[in-house]
Amino acid sequence: MEVDVGEAGRSWPRPPLREFDPARDPLVFQQLEVDYTNEGRKAVVRMYGVTEEGNSVCTFVHDFEAYFYIKAPMGFSQDDIDALQAALNAHPVAAGFNVVRIEQEMKSNVWTYQFGQLSPFLKIVVNIPQAVTKFRGVLEGGGVVANGIVLENLTTYESSVLYALRFMIDSGMPGASWVELPAGTYSLVPEGSHQTTCQLEAKVRYDSIINHPPEGRYSMLAPLRILSVDIECAGRKGQFPDPKLDSVIQIASYITVQGQNDAIVKNVLTLNSCAPIVGAVVESFSTERELLLRWRDLMLIADPDVIIGYNICNFDLPYLLERGRTLRIDREFEYWGRQKQSRIRMRDSKFSSKAYGTHEYKEITIDGRIQLDMLLAIQRDHKLSSYSLNSVSAHFLGEQKEDVHHSIITDLQNGNAETRRRLAVYCLKDAYLPQRLVDKLMYMYNYVEMARVTGVPMSYLLTRGQSIKVFSQILRKARSRNFLVPNLKKMGQTDGVAYEGATVLEAKQGFYENPVATLDFASLYPSIMMAHNLCYTTLVPKHRVNELPPGDVETSPSGDTFVRTSRQKGLLPDILEELLAARKRAKADLKIATDPFVKAVMNGRQLALKVSANSVYGFTGATVGKLPCLEISSTVTAYGRQMILQTQEMVTKKYNRSNGLEQDCDVIYGDTDSVMVNFKVKDVKRAMDLGKEAAEYISQTFPKPVKLEFEKVYYPYLLMSKKRYAGLLWTNPNEADKMDTKGIESVRRDNCLLVRQVVTTCLEMILMQRNVAGAVEYVKNTISDLLMNRLDLSLLVVSKGLTQNAETYENKAAHVELAKKMRKRDPATAPGVGDRVAYVIIKAAKGARAYEKAEDPIYALTNNLPIDYQHYLDHHLAQPLTRLFEPILGNNAKELLQGSHTRSISVSTPSAASGGIMRFAKKTATCLGCKTPLVKDSVSPLCGHCQPREAQILTSLLAQVNDLESHFGRLWTQCQACQGSLHQDVLCTSRDCPIFYRRKKVQKDLGEVKVQLARFPDW
Amino acid sequence: MFEAKLIQGNLIKKIMEGLKDLVTEANFDLSPGGVSLQAMDSSHVALVALMLRGDAFENYRCDRPRSIGMNLVNLSKVLKCAGNDDTMTLKADDTQNNITLVFESQAEDKYAEVQMELMDIDSEHLGIPDNTYDAIVKMPSAQFSQIVKDLSSIGDTVTVSVTKDGITFSTSGDVGTAHITCKQNTSMEKEADHTTVNLEHPVTLTFALRYFVTFAKSTSLSHQMSISLSKELPVMVEYAMGDMGHIRFYLAPKIDDEESMDDS
Repeated sequence: MEVDVGEAGRSWPRPPLREFDPARDPLVFQQLEVDYTNEGRKAVVRMYGVTEEGNSVCTFVHDFEAYFYIKAPMGFSQDDIDALQAALNAHPVAAGFNVVRIEQEMKSNVWTYQFGQLSPFLKIVVNIPQAVTKFRGVLEGGGVVANGIVLENLTTYESSVLYALRFMIDSGMPGASWVELPAGTYSLVPEGSHQTTCQLEAKVRYDSIINHPPEGRYSMLAPLRILSVDIECAGRKGQFPDPKLDSVIQIASYITVQGQNDAIVKNVLTLNSCAPIVGAVVESFSTERELLLRWRDLMLIADPDVIIGYNICNFDLPYLLERGRTLRIDREFEYWGRQKQSRIRMRDSKFSSKAYGTHEYKEITIDGRIQLDMLLAIQRDHKLSSYSLNSVSAHFLGEQKEDVHHSIITDLQNGNAETRRRLAVYCLKDAYLPQRLVDKLMYMYNYVEMARVTGVPMSYLLTRGQSIKVFSQILRKARSRNFLVPNLKKMGQTDGVAYEGATVLEAKQGFYENPVATLDFASLYPSIMMAHNLCYTTLVPKHRVNELPPGDVETSPSGDTFVRTSRQKGLLPDILEELLAARKRAKADLKIATDPFVKAVMNGRQLALKVSANSVYGFTGATVGKLPCLEISSTVTAYGRQMILQTQEMVTKKYNRSNGLEQDCDVIYGDTDSVMVNFKVKDVKRAMDLGKEAAEYISQTFPKPVKLEFEKVYYPYLLMSKKRYAGLLWTNPNEADKMDTKGIESVRRDNCLLVRQVVTTCLEMILMQRNVAGAVEYVKNTISDLLMNRLDLSLLVVSKGLTQNAETYENKAAHVELAKKMRKRDPATAPGVGDRVAYVIIKAAKGARAYEKAEDPIYALTNNLPIDYQHYLDHHLAQPLTRLFEPILGNNAKELLQGSHTRSISVSTPSAASGGIMRFAKKTATCLGCKTPLVKDSVSPLCGHCQPREAQILTSLLAQVNDLESHFGRLWTQCQACQGSLHQDVLCTSRDCPIFYRRKKVQKDLGEVKVQLARFPDW
Repeated sequence: MFEAKLIQGNLIKKIMEGLKDLVTEANFDLSPGGVSLQAMDSSHVALVALMLRGDAFENYRCDRPRSIGMNLVNLSKVLKCAGNDDTMTLKADDTQNNITLVFESQAEDKYAEVQMELMDIDSEHLGIPDNTYDAIVKMPSAQFSQIVKDLSSIGDTVTVSVTKDGITFSTSGDVGTAHITCKQNTSMEKEADHTTVNLEHPVTLTFALRYFVTFAKSTSLSHQMSISLSKELPVMVEYAMGDMGHIRFYLAPKIDDEESMDDS
């Protein structure tokens, strides 16, 4: 397809290709995505990648065969094998699929210890990958008869390995690695007959490819092209945009090249005219068709390797596709993948994983381009109180953005070139922020490294669960050691088989004002698996334990028996050792690295290695996973429990007065992999020395590589209960490193900001400043501010996600009822499914249910509805504060919630519009000095008694007005700065932004004070 | 200085009965004329206005008008110290932020003094302007109390309609429907037992029943109560305490599809 890029598209194309001679030049590139296609009756693997020069490559890998294994029946002869092949090929399912050949190989099953024996397995090689599934089904089910031997209900081996992954495993190729096609082994497809939009197309046999391990120059990332996209749609009032009806009015695209700071393309396509934007290319179109097709051209010419954005997988991309269908231009529009002949494919899908829960999403296949939706990535990797782009950006980048409610987008679109420019600036920002997030959170580095470490293509990391990563490593290791992995029949959801988890020693609540040493087991679960050689391949079936000499086996506290390393080393311990050794190397490299890119790579790698090592244990325990083995996981936790208890016992036995120490030590708490010891010494240095000594002494008693480490001292240390503590962390005796907390109300989303703020500040005052009295004072002041209605409403907002239509909820929940109420008021701005509903608790009639008291914060603010401060005190603050202060103040902690500071309150008067009795009530003028009702028609705003203080009261009012006015001015400027224009009204109604609430509140307070001021007669 | 002595200390207890379920904290306005209170309930659907004239007290002294804030839950707790026949004296110093309550038995053999911290409540002073009503019904307090109690076990809302013959309370619920009509009746010997209807225009209004139940807690204050209704106005339920003062409750009528919070 010939595309005229025009003046506006000058910066789109990739760097030009240099002269290339396949006979002389090797082709080296970083592969990013691997998939396959069937050409006729043969599968061809397609590897997409980028060269060092930034040219895009697609390599077609030929002649790699798909296969799987079954165990050979006893005495199965070559003749039987031929008969089996014939029988399979004659089976009704075999139409179009056939078994190419069957080979006999000596292999071993990974499942349970095989006493070192290899047995005959049949490798069934088939013509195309889909045939694996077909024939697997036959052999696992009804079966075939070969030479009178019935083969049915068999276990198949290595039969659920995806073809592309199979290819990578068999070639020893990790994910996102550099590969080389040596000169002379490949041929180039002439440019005229390219199937793809890639600059280079090569054909190669699978066994000619050289893999470069990710080291030195091959550890770097190729200059990938990353496109960040955001679209705007013209919705109808009150409705979420529907691609059947509402047009796409703007598309913003940002293209960056990995390793460069500035975007090479900043482009916004608009429907109808749009005023110019400095630094960006604006292209305007009169029809939506032209707009969409121009964007397709951009995709084809710029040829990005990775497509990012915020919520693109569930909104932007599906919307574009469906819009194309509605406009009936899908035949032209849906070709912006890398395969020229292949449309973008979209289907509904569901992603279920134990670690991430279930998500429904649209699965979109864009050949050769990786999609990285930052919303999904951040939801997976970070626990945040809100996942709107706005608050995520504020959290990670410290940048806010204007939040234009989708109900006013249409108004802006229908305005003039200036209003559309405004929208375009907003749209560009939405494309820019995901790009910044990728950079800031180093997503490219981390995902590339994760792909390399776990050996799966990058795209698997986002679309598949945790288990494929461990599974890929097991498959690789098994292959290298001649093992085969069985395809276990799904156990289904068997929640009943829970085993005992980690142990938690009882927490001795208190505020410890002397150093508390923490002894940690380094990588506890991986090291247990290594120390005790726990693996599928070392698990001895219970009935065969007697066949082995007792010295060669070890029976765990949970009663399962595994052979020792001396007899046979397990695969999992092998994998873990490599991971941990690699992590050590990566950390060492990280230390000496000076180049920021190398640093990023090494840091990403060591993180990926750590996560991978830790997920092996989880993989064995995942009952719905690929290869669950509860014998392993329950053994791991059993050893873990034993070790914690042993540590506790040894510490208390050794460090006491009878051994000549100052004090008896005390184990105050222990959880999973750590034990907290109070040596009762005053000096941090002394506690550290004792900790080190104890760690070394106890480590000796455990098998290698289990190691008890002394890492840190907490001083002071506030232990509230199990899994809840806070302390100042010291790793050297001279200076504390930071404050460390666990289980403290800081991330839970159903907490309001107030709780987080109060708890954090208190901890800082107590631990860092050692100022308990100050903390108490602070709490009292905050409570008093709450009761006096002086707090920002944003501190009181709680939010909950609306996961389904409000009408379909069975239970009455606050956010659901509120969503219904808001829909009645104004369907345009009411939250819909998937939105988070923000609410505050307002006062309601006595005995009203909690769900009746929720109100939209903005409605509450504009109608001046009184906040139910008692609810916040009782349900939000009371518990965390009592927990925090009980260890310090004992019973006096209750004082905090009931003292004299709670006796000044302010009750706001709802506006008449909020209904009820307010439609009828009249305000009586009261004295501005002492609040006594005034005589009717009194001219002075003061009562006789306060009259002498007139000047004082007036000046204090004036001061208040001035104060609020300047405050409001500052907030308004802030919002103008955020929207990027000082000349226009601020439109933003972001419910996530604290400034927004503050601005509204100050505005209202100002209005009230001005009314009061106006009561003084003019002079 | 504020000081007020009441022979029937018990009266304050009775008043609190009617107030404390509606309002948790409120400002009492002390003035040379008497003690008054105007407060809205926390759901801002009802408003209560209390008036106790200075003359009603045995001794009454108020040097300057003043507003004092009290937590009514705490006040009720304090009042438990008083015996039913005790006299009660309230004392508040203008410069102090507390109030002293003194309870003395009639026989003068028991003397209790309680000091309570005051609150500083910053709120608007609200009132319902005096109106002329389309219909005013007077009826025995106990009868009204019984009617709302009976109806509240059937439904959530009550429709009150007044015609020249009498007043009808109706409700409906899952159980069924109920109508209770009280006809004009002046045949009783005591005037307090009479039911009288003073009608300008017939009127029908609907209210949340649970507020009526709360209002009826003031039954012990007076034998007879009155209900004043007008279209487009809140209902006024009044318990007059002879010359001493009154307590009035105002309740906004229900409008369909509004205030769904009152549905429960």
